[in-house]
Amino acid sequence: MAALLRGLRAGRALRGIGGALVAPTATNPRCSSLRRGFHCAALRLQDESKSDKPPSSSSTNYHEHYQAHPTDQDTTAASQGDSADDLAADEAFKTNTSYQDQSGEQGEEYETEEQLQVRILSASLEFVQEHGWSMEAIAAGAETLGLSSASTGMFNNGAGDLVLHFIAQCNLQLTEILAEQHKQVQLGQAEPKHTSDLLRDAVETRLRMYIPYIQTWPQAMSILLLPHNIPDSLKHLSNMVDDIWYYAGDRSTDVSGYHHPRSPPSSARTFLSPFHHHPHNIRPATVQMNWYTKRAVLTGIYNTTELVMVQDSSEDFQDTWNFLNNRIQDVVNMASTAKQVQSTGEAVVQGLMGAAVTLKNLTGLNQRR
Amino acid sequence: MAVSMRLLVRRLIRLSHRNVAVSRAAVLSRSHCHWEPLFCRSFSDDRNTHFGFETVSEEDKAKRVYKVFENVAQKYDIMNDAMSLGIHRLWKDMLLHAMHPQPGAQLLDVAGGTGDIAFRFLDYVRTQQEQKRRREARSMQLQSWQEISNSYPTIDEGGRQESRAVVCDINKEMLKVGKEKADGKGISAGLSWVVGDAEELPFDDDQFDIYTIAFGIRNVTRIDQALQEALRVLKPGGRFMCLEFSKVTNPVLARIYDAYSFQLIPVLGEVIAGDWKSYQYLVESIRRFPDQEEFKYMIEDAGFYCVQYFNLTGGVVALHSGFKL
Repeated sequence: MAALLRGLRAGRALRGIGGALVAPTATNPRCSSLRRGFHCAALRLQDESKSDKPPSSSSTNYHEHYQAHPTDQDTTAASQGDSADDLAADEAFKTNTSYQDQSGEQGEEYETEEQLQVRILSASLEFVQEHGWSMEAIAAGAETLGLSSASTGMFNNGAGDLVLHFIAQCNLQLTEILAEQHKQVQLGQAEPKHTSDLLRDAVETRLRMYIPYIQTWPQAMSILLLPHNIPDSLKHLSNMVDDIWYYAGDRSTDVSGYHHPRSPPSSARTFLSPFHHHPHNIRPATVQMNWYTKRAVLTGIYNTTELVMVQDSSEDFQDTWNFLNNRIQDVVNMASTAKQVQSTGEAVVQGLMGAAVTLKNLTGLNQRR
Repeated sequence: MAVSMRLLVRRLIRLSHRNVAVSRAAVLSRSHCHWEPLFCRSFSDDRNTHFGFETVSEEDKAKRVYKVFENVAQKYDIMNDAMSLGIHRLWKDMLLHAMHPQPGAQLLDVAGGTGDIAFRFLDYVRTQQEQKRRREARSMQLQSWQEISNSYPTIDEGGRQESRAVVCDINKEMLKVGKEKADGKGISAGLSWVVGDAEELPFDDDQFDIYTIAFGIRNVTRIDQALQEALRVLKPGGRFMCLEFSKVTNPVLARIYDAYSFQLIPVLGEVIAGDWKSYQYLVESIRRFPDQEEFKYMIEDAGFYCVQYFNLTGGVVALHSGFKL
């Protein structure tokens, strides 16, 4: 966050001295896209402090971010952010009129291209029932935003983009719900749930988000299985499973014990357990395997339940939730059975060893003379 | 006290910079190179540009390009087939495939002369509509009698606008050839032919969904002006697509391509069309056109977003696309 602010101020300073150094900047289109990003953010800062919008909307965004990372470093940056916002607000009021006069199309530049794409995809979700998960739905969504249907060309992956966006949105919603429940438990306002109950509720909540689209969901699943979409869909799936286990109490964090919220997925390392991120963190092999098996089990439960759901025709999908219940019970039973088998096995081995020693004693082989 | 004084001083300095920069910033805010042509326009009459490997004044270039295309108009399509060994059809098909026009889209094909892109566009849209109608008919067969009767009033819903293609070219001869082709194919609905200059289009703002210019932009005298006109006539969300010869990336292919261009093409021109010089101009103008990355920056500077390009045939042809957002 601090780096972004520094960059913004640098960008603003650059533009301020741009009048004096026009020739070099004019021949420097290489970083235009980067500066466009800064420029858009800077413009947004200034415009958001205009009269019609609540003036501190940009600063509240910053404040929310700061609250999520309550460390010392960030509190100092927060105070810097405040002063920067004040300065920006003051400057904006002075120069607002000139910006408005120059071009009426300032509205479109306020967000980056990615944000506009996200907006188009969110608007297209309403048309999925009518057109299916396809480019026509995206075109209809773009038209509701006032953009021409040709803007669908921005989405090279077409329908895949729409499905992946929907999945990302669902995962985000699920994380928020789980965090809210966790907070309730921490504040003592709710009873802590048993792990199996929490897993079952999380999977049920997540799958219920598909209910409005259940007619076309098989088409979406087939789109996700296309080869070029598989890496992305697997990534979303593993993130979701990670999140659920995190809130179910599996605090497999890194060495420092720093209680970090879900960090954004980086690379293939997302698939590895945190044990592998820190080579000097030696844990027993059984605990490492446990991390993988937990996630594999939950992935299996989730996928099978999803499949049951798409062909379920019972009232409010009751069959699906019964199926889910049974699977979770199976896992719980399996865990306890495994423990029993282990202890039984140990007992049996000890018994056999005892019998063998007794035999040797009886036959006199154990005598040492 | 000292802190607030410092803040005040800093604010004053920044304000003074702003007041100086505000007039320039308004121009800078859109594009970085904008102000240069504004500044130089006072000298535009003496500006020189390239015509192939020659240097000519800007007014001359427009006239000479007009002459070139006037001469080649009749044999344009045949020469295209001969020079590119028919591959130009594939390039134009790729353009349509990347465009993926939705039903109801309005196309403006600039420098579209003989109408290749416009015909393909209308074909594509019509086939898509037919497929959609066929799909609907098939799904209707599984419905109950009640559902079919309910959908009767909505079958022929003509609420959506029909797709239209406008072909614009500065050269009347090329448009004449195009019109004859259209008559031959029997296409007349949804097609218009307009004479116009790419640097000064005779259309209102925010008219078209898609703007295409295939193998025409290198003949335009002021490319940045043509790009700005494209931005103007496109609707918000509209797409700019440009198909043009570009730099070949592979060095081996580049050698072969150079040899083919300079040795064979003018000869073909002389033999088939009886015009050596026009085809000499053609290959030279290809060499003078900026390469893929530079053209991409020019498009971004004009104000388009999400600009990307695809190389076809190893870089012989590049397809650039940008959006007006």
